[in-house]
Amino acid sequence: MANKRVLVKRRKAIRNIRKITKTMELIATSRFKKAMDRASEAELFTRKVAELAADLTANATGVTHPLLQKREKIQRSVLLILTSNRGLCGGYNASILREAGLAVRRNETEGVEVQLELSGKRAIAFFRYQGIPVAHQYTHFEDKPAFEQVDVLANRYIQEYIAGKIDRVEVAYMKFINAGRQRPVVETLLPLDQLAPIEGAAAAGAGNDQVDYEFLPSAGSILEEVLPISFKIRLFKCFLDAAVSEQIARRVAMKAATESAGDMIKSLSQDYNRLRQAQITTEIAEIIGGVEALK
Amino acid sequence: MDAVKTPGQVRCVIVTPEKAVADEVCDFVALPMYDGEVGIAPLRRPLIGRLGFGELRTRKGNVVHHWYVDGGFVQVRNDVVTVLTSKAMKATDIKIEAAQASLAEAQKPANTPEGIDANLNAQERARAQIRVAQKAAGTPATH
Repeated sequence: MANKRVLVKRRKAIRNIRKITKTMELIATSRFKKAMDRASEAELFTRKVAELAADLTANATGVTHPLLQKREKIQRSVLLILTSNRGLCGGYNASILREAGLAVRRNETEGVEVQLELSGKRAIAFFRYQGIPVAHQYTHFEDKPAFEQVDVLANRYIQEYIAGKIDRVEVAYMKFINAGRQRPVVETLLPLDQLAPIEGAAAAGAGNDQVDYEFLPSAGSILEEVLPISFKIRLFKCFLDAAVSEQIARRVAMKAATESAGDMIKSLSQDYNRLRQAQITTEIAEIIGGVEALK
Repeated sequence: MDAVKTPGQVRCVIVTPEKAVADEVCDFVALPMYDGEVGIAPLRRPLIGRLGFGELRTRKGNVVHHWYVDGGFVQVRNDVVTVLTSKAMKATDIKIEAAQASLAEAQKPANTPEGIDANLNAQERARAQIRVAQKAAGTPATH
């Protein structure tokens, strides 16, 4: 009855897998909560900077900053792709890479040279397999991206952008819309949108009464300093969103895996019981047959 | 989170991109501006300004808190001082050795204009950290 033993073995293996996926689900849930808290704490800074920018733009006119200038001809573009370091998170990485692949092809047809920068082992493995050369690779962004780490990247982009080495910065990541919805997107971070450095800046400004501020040194020059910061926090927000979305994706995937492991165990148990019953029936039939023969 | 503020007091909120570091009510706040210190007492005229690297002090009664802020901006409005900075820490949390190491690193010669700028910036930051930390520790500043 080798078949029966095989069933028992498989059921055992699936039970072990279920334990692992269940644990991973719990871990992902707690990490998601932490990541979510971090994201909401970062929200305050974003809101304040938006408010500040709104107040400043009301007082400064004709600000020209290199980060605001759109280049007429885009020759070199940076595409930063944020994926996870680990797998087992469902379609998370695949959907980002699909979106990123489309962006790469779009750039190619436009005749733009793309400089790829990857965060996460998944993207690195994908592009290595595709044989596409990559400019920079990062694996140190985990579920708790620190502003200091992002700051390094942001400063380099700002420098290269101002120096004219790059004409556009795009980020492909999973945008967090709400706990039930995330969407893979490719967003252009540089050049910054004219005088609306951050989403909601206008709304934040509209709610304020006009306050007669004293500016040290002057509204225009402060605004020029605010612009790089607003780029940095937008980039930072991308990383935070990616971290939150990754944990959600992993939780959903692991929940589904745990559930299907449960279903599988159920159906294997059924098969096993049926087989056992059939075996008992055969044995009884054999015994009865033997008794009949002895009569 | 919101501290209760009575008239004649200033609320000081320090925010970094990662989190809200501090939210306290005090009598007086001294801010490190890009070109020197500015003191904020209650009923100050609204102000938006650029910060430099340096020490932020809050005083309530006889208790003085020392903070190190890493540049950024400040908005003063309705007796609320909002400090937006990329990094803020308590003066006692500064690691002097680390700051001295980064100062030594920044004093190495650079050969590009950007490199020189970055080095000067890093030197200023490290010196400010050392200054704030030494002041908090009660030892005289040597830089």
